[in-house]
Amino acid sequence: MTTDPILVGEAISHEYGDLSVLEGVDIAVDPGAVTAIVGPNGTGKTTLLRILLGHLSPTDGEVRYTGPEVDRPIGYLPQQPSFRPQFTAAETIAFYAGLLDEPAETEAALRRVGLADAADRRVEALSGGMRRLLGIAQSLVGEPPVVVFDEPASGLDPSMAANAFEILAEQASEGTAVLVSSHDLSLVDRFADRVVFLNRGSVIVSGSPAELAESTNSETLWEVYQSVIREPAARREVEA
Amino acid sequence: MTGALAQFKALVGRELRTVARTRVYALLAVGLAGLVVALVAGGGGGQTGYLPAVVDLLLPLELVVPLAAVAVGYRSVVDDLERGELAVLETYDVSPWVYVLAVYVGRAALLAAVLTASLLVSGLVIALASAPDTTVYATHSGVDSPILWGRFLVLTVLFGLVMEALVVLLSVAARSVRAAVVLATGGVLLAAAGGDALIVVGLADGWLAESNLLSALAATPNSAYRGVVFETVIGVAAAGESGYAAPLPSVLGLFGWLVGSLAAATLLLSRRHL
Repeated sequence: MTTDPILVGEAISHEYGDLSVLEGVDIAVDPGAVTAIVGPNGTGKTTLLRILLGHLSPTDGEVRYTGPEVDRPIGYLPQQPSFRPQFTAAETIAFYAGLLDEPAETEAALRRVGLADAADRRVEALSGGMRRLLGIAQSLVGEPPVVVFDEPASGLDPSMAANAFEILAEQASEGTAVLVSSHDLSLVDRFADRVVFLNRGSVIVSGSPAELAESTNSETLWEVYQSVIREPAARREVEA
Repeated sequence: MTGALAQFKALVGRELRTVARTRVYALLAVGLAGLVVALVAGGGGGQTGYLPAVVDLLLPLELVVPLAAVAVGYRSVVDDLERGELAVLETYDVSPWVYVLAVYVGRAALLAAVLTASLLVSGLVIALASAPDTTVYATHSGVDSPILWGRFLVLTVLFGLVMEALVVLLSVAARSVRAAVVLATGGVLLAAAGGDALIVVGLADGWLAESNLLSALAATPNSAYRGVVFETVIGVAAAGESGYAAPLPSVLGLFGWLVGSLAAATLLLSRRHL
């Protein structure tokens, strides 16, 4: 398996009018790994994800996808996945599968996220957590080489949140490049292979959780967060 | 191209299934049918024949059809935009024109079915309640006939399809569901009444010459619909009564609104998302 990044963002900048949201962000997403973007609210995480997805053009910089030419190169789970409430879980996935040239198996997609037993249940009858799992199943339809998850654990109870991240990690172990933005540092610490800290539109530090902990004399990712986001002096030290 | 066709089918199927399973649309269908039957019965035209019923219905339908189009379609695109659904569809390489056309076909099919059912029920009421000679199939002008009612039905459905296209465009333009209601209602009412008002003002102020009146009437959806109904339904039964509108330009005008609205919706959507 290649270890070259499959999705690369180089010197990405983005402005909304006079407001600069991203400044010279470099990011590389490797296949077979979970890459997490972490940072305070309003720091440009979703904008960066939208640019990497190709939904938004950067003001400056470029995005390169170097993976195989497939029906669906990048899968996506939005922050608030929402489906037609009148449809069953199976019908929902079948609809998305029907948008692809290559047939995708609905049952397998639901089984992967543990929703096989709820296949015939209408979306309106699913809990918030189950809807999120349905969203994850949707993001994986067609086996895209890259999958982008925007806050997959947001609003979920701890066990459901861990379940969502376990699915992501399992997907990465099968070779998929997983890019995730999250505020749940304990889950990121546990499941991410590489963490990118974003603050005020710039990458502050990046590396594996262990590397980051070592470079900041921290024991947890939360401590890393505190030192690089909350203490600019310490951040400069890390950068140096 | 095969991919686009498969995506179109999947999207149309989703729209049709959505509307079929949404109770409020069934209520809309019953309500609209009830309203049309009540107008036919209450106006007195129903007891007299198809043509008097057309005369009774024409003006109310110019308002009711656009409002029914709003009820059916104002959420069609803005819902998907607000829920991030379009961002997801973009990862499946769905092009804006496939999406817009599919949403339109799904919603337009519902509106067409509702209008057809309402007018068929009303036609049945007229057939049962009116004088015996209305069952005659006219072979010449001057005779009332179910065929004229059929023409009225087809033209009303066409008018509805035009209005639905306009509503889909306004749903793309809206930033939220709440804004979509206001925008769609205001937009169709403006198209319904604004065109006529503009023509009246143009004639009064002199910047619209009387010789261009028929072209102007063909260019606005309501007057085009009204004009074609006058020329091909009402005027048929009254010998020598024609020249109220130019039928072909009016039909072309209606198609122009339909295609133009969908093209504008596609363009706008490609700028916004897909």
